[in-house]
Amino acid sequence: MDGSIAIDIQDLHKAYGQVQALRGVTLTVKRGEVLGFLGPNGAGKTTTIRCMLDLIRPDGGTIRLLGLDPQADPVAVRARVGYLPGELSLEANAKVESALRYFTDLRGSRVDWAFVRELAQRLELDLGTAIKNLSKGNKQKVGVVQALMARPELLLLDEPTSGLDPLMQQEVYRLLKEAQAGGATIFFSSHIIGEVEAIAERVAILRAGQIVEEARPEQLVNMHVRRVHVRFKEPVDAAHLAQVRGVSVLAQDDTAATLQVEGEMEGLIQALAPLGVSDLQTEHPSLEEAFLAYYAAGKEAR
Amino acid sequence: MLAELKHTLRRMRGQIIGWGIGLGLYAVMMAALFSTVAELDMEAYLTQFPEEMMAFFSNMSAVATPAGYMDTYFFSMMTLIVGILAISAGAGLLVGDEEKGILDLVLAHPVSRTRLFWGRLLGMAAAIAAALLISWLCWLVPARSSGMNLDWLGFLRPYLPLFAELFLFGTMALLLSMVLPAGRLAGMVTGGLLVANYLLLGLSNLNESLKAMVKLTPLYYYQGGMAAEGLNWAWLAGLLAAALLFALGAWALFQRRDIRVGGERSWHLPSLRPASKKL
Repeated sequence: MDGSIAIDIQDLHKAYGQVQALRGVTLTVKRGEVLGFLGPNGAGKTTTIRCMLDLIRPDGGTIRLLGLDPQADPVAVRARVGYLPGELSLEANAKVESALRYFTDLRGSRVDWAFVRELAQRLELDLGTAIKNLSKGNKQKVGVVQALMARPELLLLDEPTSGLDPLMQQEVYRLLKEAQAGGATIFFSSHIIGEVEAIAERVAILRAGQIVEEARPEQLVNMHVRRVHVRFKEPVDAAHLAQVRGVSVLAQDDTAATLQVEGEMEGLIQALAPLGVSDLQTEHPSLEEAFLAYYAAGKEAR
Repeated sequence: MLAELKHTLRRMRGQIIGWGIGLGLYAVMMAALFSTVAELDMEAYLTQFPEEMMAFFSNMSAVATPAGYMDTYFFSMMTLIVGILAISAGAGLLVGDEEKGILDLVLAHPVSRTRLFWGRLLGMAAAIAAALLISWLCWLVPARSSGMNLDWLGFLRPYLPLFAELFLFGTMALLLSMVLPAGRLAGMVTGGLLVANYLLLGLSNLNESLKAMVKLTPLYYYQGGMAAEGLNWAWLAGLLAAALLFALGAWALFQRRDIRVGGERSWHLPSLRPASKKL
């Protein structure tokens, strides 16, 4: 396997009884890359992550993390991976420090506790508090600390900022960027579009157990529907623009038209050129609208 | 493995102390009462009991001896009482954490399932042994003044088959927790089997036809307090071997198990509806 690849998943299948959770997921992530793994509830994001850690066994396909097979050598893989589960559960009666000490023991004590204290301080987490007395957000901070504390080469994060306030979300983004700057690869699932925009270099969209799109966030935005306002120098009949592939006319008068364009703009530009355009404005959809388009397509497909 | 052993002992420290003190206080009381019971004319006293009851509790006639006394008043019922600790510990050893959603994160760390399994099992065994150890020490303190003519080894011997029985039922609960959909169900089934075995053993003293059946059950090979006079090593080894078999079965199932995010599993009965025809 290419040493520059951190995650290589090929044709991954997993079923829970009659429910087919993954239907041939294929995905690669380069070392040092930050990939946002997106999809509606039940799309298979958590199942994919849990297969990567050998918590559940796939029915078919192959996974390589950092060049290693997690099914053949799960301990070697996990020694180099930090994981934050989507539904974080910790021993309620333990104090934060003893919970983290236990995770340190499981890592063979290869954790720098000065770094743990620094993480706790930056996230305003009191190590002396019992887990049962922590709010959801503070529990999430424990999860973030335990994922980062061993400075892993690969971070698998299932909704990393779930339950955190906006200030703490920003701090987590900073920590993740620092981890990336230190060479870590980050693979995270999220429903928070702002989070994806803030940290993801590339996104993969999972729908019904299959990857339906892989692109940079800005490419995703460009691939989708946009609204175009055109003003002409002279009165024209804009109705024939609807014949251009991917274009529909939303409104028009003698010297102006509002169009909706799906896909590339090239065809429209060519059609507008002979009409004498005095002004042209394009409204890009937000990343959120782009995701919603994918999600909606999934519902229609069902 | 050491990390898991330490962790299990730390988690069970409340149970070790609670059960140890409870059993210890009972042991102190029983040891202190020995001379009083021994001085009674037990044979005349026991004739007042119905024959069936005497048969059910087969060793009651030996109650004036230290071994018989310990067996009747302490060890005969300890499998049932301390069985609660062993069974609940076994049933929840791994599945308890899985149902709480804790195991997911633990197994995402660099620890193999084998190390996790055996580390926790050793921790459970050590926790049961520690509770029994406290109780053993509590027999020793007043025993000399109460006339129980046993040395420390004599008091220790009955604890070995008791530990073996408890470990066996603990591993049985652990195995069932890997098969049944919920840890509490595994605990209930194992507890039910323990009580059924106890009743069957007593009834087999009344009904000869049950003798053959009871020989297939673990409590038949439990010496109880009578072990103070000498251990049956074959029985002890047999119990420990059976416990090891249960543990190996549970380990094999744990290796192949898909770890849940949380919650209990469920059993789905196969659909009785005919499969729909494809168009």
